[in-house]
Amino acid sequence: MARYKMVVDLDRCQGCRACMEACKVENNTPAGVFWMYVFRFEQGEFPDTSISFLPRPCQHCNNAPCVKVCPTGARYKREDGLVLTDFERCIGCRYCEVACPYGVNYFNWRKPDHAFDDYKMDFSDPDLVAFTGGVVPPYRNPDHDVKHGPEGRLTSGSGHFKGVMEKCTFCVHRVEKGLVPACVDTCPVGALRFGDAEDENSPISVFIREHESFQLLEELGTDPSVIYVGGAPPSTESREIERPMTRV
Amino acid sequence: MVAVTRRSFLKGSAAVGGGVLASDFLFGGLETLRKTNKVLLADQLTEDYVHTTCWIGKQDCGMRVRRIDGRPVKLEGLAGHPRNDGTLCPKGQAQIISFYDPNRVKTPLIRTNAKGEPGAWRRASWDEALDLVATKVKEVLEEDPKLVLWQKGRSKAKDFYDDAFVKALGCSKLGHGAYCSDTGYRAVEYTVGLHGVLHPDLLNAQYVLSWGWNITNAGGNKFCWITWPRQMLDAMENGLKIVHIDPRLRPAGPFADRWVPIRPATDLAFALALIHELIAQGYVDRPYLTTYTNAPYLVGPDGLFLRDEEDTPLVWDETTRRAVPVGTADSPALEGTYTVDGAEAKTAFELLKEHVASYTPEWASEICGIEAEQIRRIATEFGEHARIGSTVVVDGVEVPYRPVGIMAYHMAQQELGFQALRAMCIVPMLVGAWGAVGGQTADFTWKVDKNYAAFEELKVEEPPYDFTLKNSKFFPINSGFPGIVAKVMQDPERYEVDKLPKVMILHHVNPVVSFASQPDFLEAYKKLEFVAAITPWMSETADLFADVVLPCATIEKYEGPISATDGYIDAVTLRLPPMEPLLESRGEIDIYMDLSERIGVLYGEGGYLSVVNEGLGLTETEFALSLEEKPTVREIFDRWSKAQGLEGISYFEQNGVLVKGAISPTKRYGYVTDPPFGGAVHRLYGESLLKAQRMQQEMGADLIYWQDYTPLPTWREPTMWSSPADYEFTLITYKLVEHKQSRTTTVPLLAELSGPQRLEMNATVGRAKGFEDGDEVVVESHNALTGETRRLKTRIRLIEGIRPDVVGMPHHFGMWSHPSSQGLGPTPNEIFYTGEGYMGATADASFHVRVRVFKE
Repeated sequence: MARYKMVVDLDRCQGCRACMEACKVENNTPAGVFWMYVFRFEQGEFPDTSISFLPRPCQHCNNAPCVKVCPTGARYKREDGLVLTDFERCIGCRYCEVACPYGVNYFNWRKPDHAFDDYKMDFSDPDLVAFTGGVVPPYRNPDHDVKHGPEGRLTSGSGHFKGVMEKCTFCVHRVEKGLVPACVDTCPVGALRFGDAEDENSPISVFIREHESFQLLEELGTDPSVIYVGGAPPSTESREIERPMTRV
Repeated sequence: MVAVTRRSFLKGSAAVGGGVLASDFLFGGLETLRKTNKVLLADQLTEDYVHTTCWIGKQDCGMRVRRIDGRPVKLEGLAGHPRNDGTLCPKGQAQIISFYDPNRVKTPLIRTNAKGEPGAWRRASWDEALDLVATKVKEVLEEDPKLVLWQKGRSKAKDFYDDAFVKALGCSKLGHGAYCSDTGYRAVEYTVGLHGVLHPDLLNAQYVLSWGWNITNAGGNKFCWITWPRQMLDAMENGLKIVHIDPRLRPAGPFADRWVPIRPATDLAFALALIHELIAQGYVDRPYLTTYTNAPYLVGPDGLFLRDEEDTPLVWDETTRRAVPVGTADSPALEGTYTVDGAEAKTAFELLKEHVASYTPEWASEICGIEAEQIRRIATEFGEHARIGSTVVVDGVEVPYRPVGIMAYHMAQQELGFQALRAMCIVPMLVGAWGAVGGQTADFTWKVDKNYAAFEELKVEEPPYDFTLKNSKFFPINSGFPGIVAKVMQDPERYEVDKLPKVMILHHVNPVVSFASQPDFLEAYKKLEFVAAITPWMSETADLFADVVLPCATIEKYEGPISATDGYIDAVTLRLPPMEPLLESRGEIDIYMDLSERIGVLYGEGGYLSVVNEGLGLTETEFALSLEEKPTVREIFDRWSKAQGLEGISYFEQNGVLVKGAISPTKRYGYVTDPPFGGAVHRLYGESLLKAQRMQQEMGADLIYWQDYTPLPTWREPTMWSSPADYEFTLITYKLVEHKQSRTTTVPLLAELSGPQRLEMNATVGRAKGFEDGDEVVVESHNALTGETRRLKTRIRLIEGIRPDVVGMPHHFGMWSHPSSQGLGPTPNEIFYTGEGYMGATADASFHVRVRVFKE
């Protein structure tokens, strides 16, 4: 059985947020929602100032607090390391959001048809519908309408139901096709890597072995599947700059 | 056992809790209970991938488009494309939403209200709209073709637009370059002959002065983003050091080995001090300077080169101890003062040494706001890393090795930009880094631009002038500057111009928002008799001034040919439509062919099609387009593809890009091209600048026009420094990685990603003034020559990584026509000035102004 991990190379990340955008289009997330989020931080005082970047997807913890608190079993951990939400079981209680120390859960507040209203684009415009068939958003990815994994659950993509909790899925629908997550695929500078860490000889296993690494909030014992290389974890000195228009 | 569905589970909960469901409070209604009715069955859908080329930025990355039943759902990077190799930036990813933007211009539009106010429109057929444009254009062409002005923002198929359409009409044209980096182009064309600004041989560089290079947000020379950062990161793994010279730290992110927070508009002083120090510390590549530059040329007391009867410049031969024509000396002297025919003459290099004697690091320190020791250390490191005298073998060719260089691009747009860039060209010149491995260049192959020869004798003619002031006493070197054209249109007498443009065709350009200064464009464009705009979205310029709007496609069209080189690998590609354009928009080539046909310039010799044949290299080949028949655009590119030795356009449809292989060192490195450096003698000393200055003076031009036409870069204080002291900040602008120019705020995914406009200010300074992060402030600019003030309002952002005497704003935003652009705040172009004091000597924009900031 594969055991997937993501490596974030902070010595290469340019903070461009292409990963956030690739995720957004791939997973059809609503306005204001970024399952992948890249922090831009500033530290120090002029002129002894520094800038750092920190991509933060769902950490897909091996000891996931969100899974423990889910009252319905909707949030679950797969053997291959992916932490997913079964949208058909989620009741929207938001316990996972409270339990998660990384802030990666996004509650879906809107009906799927209205998830993109903030973009001020009328996708029901007849001139578009003639081509799109009324699909919302028009770049809607049909992979999210099928069930994934041996467990056969509806777990990928966004916008299935109003009132459920959503988050990064490591692009389960892509991983099951043998592809890497959309964020990793698009990273222009090779700062994101993904692979099977169970296989000792896989490129990601070798890379992790050969580099010093850390996990976010290691002290909490959540044991994330996202491994950071280079740079440094943000400190209490780090101030976030340049926030996108996100609702979290 | 009965399976518990969500419905029954919740029903159960409700029953237990009784009364109102918790979900009613949390999210109103019972949406969670209803299963989506839009489950598509994946096995009934057809998935395919088609190839195309990104449109939104400058560097045209390779793409593959995932389609479901022919509907594009995702844009991905094309693996194996030299520029982006399977990756895309946020703009590349986000633009898919624009395929489906119902707020685009849907059909051709004809104005129904007065110009100068937001447009009221009626829909028109393509026939009606094209006929109307053609009639107006023809009318004015008959009077004087130069009064038809084609103005572009971004042109992505020069052969078809800038060349074929403009040449077929014989009309005037204006680009956006004078707002971009043209000052730098002119300086490099003048000094070494290449058409480009400054970039190092990055993959082989060891020490780079990142001079205003917005590493993590923008490209720089030739590229818009992805390629340079990839190459820089790879070079850093081989030891590359980055010195970031910029008032803001943010551009370099965590990648600066040293940050030099220079005061804006003082780059010339900094470069002069580097020249001073390199010479003082002995970092001088004598063989290069004596062989390939005019440094050894003898300059007489009049500032001009001594020449023989055949007009060949003279050098001092140390062997025979006399002045001889260049190229005939056994041992030309680089330095020294000599007596030739009874008069004293000095080598150009000797003059440079004397010229920079007072430009010490201590002198520059005061001006630039940088410690002298910092400047001295950078000069030392630059000199040491240059390894003067070393060579390296590349692909079997021995080439000088000087792994130092400068990356500089948009920072050229400042009042003293031309001479600042001249001085910055001289820095790598001193150590022999131009054309060396790891060293300085400005293009990917060593091709000498036609401007190099043209600049040997600058034309300064008597008035009347055309409305671009070409060859005028004002701008002997002239980039073609829309800002000065706007000034001329408001006051032609002042500039001794007799004819103004009457018809304008706006090609993907939005001067009212994208160019400074907005008030000048708002006034000037009122004078146009007829304006047609070719644009995917209703630009603000079209909204206010267009008579006709012609909707064009973004990616969904055939366009090219497009270079796909990364500077090391040669490659070419096309833009291919991943879908038919929605609504009634069309590709621009279609539009121009139809327009040319109606104007009567499509067919025959000298017509649009014949210029296309020339541009694509099809003339007199079996693939040449017929000059009597209108081809489809696909057919044109099919013929061009065949002329490349391919089976046709299907090659690109199947493979996406034609990778031709590595660029050979004998094309890439100036030292080893044949002839070396393309035969251009590098102009350390700008003799023709001095001649132009004298002609300007003779014709009575004011000092402000001729003061920077000096043979050696000479410091003076920028005009804006004479604004009153309470205008205590210099406003600078910068690019965000989320946007490209002004057009991307129409992409809601990018507006969301970038957030709205902001004014960055040093946090300590801001707090002392009582500002808190997010406060709305007034930014008021001051024109030091006219006393005029202008204001905008935006929200303040307090950060540490910016000089205390500087405030910064991104140059995007300020648009009002597209719903996605609304509410994002103003463009700084509203408060910049243009014209005297706020432009460069070569007719280019400056993006610097003194401002004060206060709460109302």
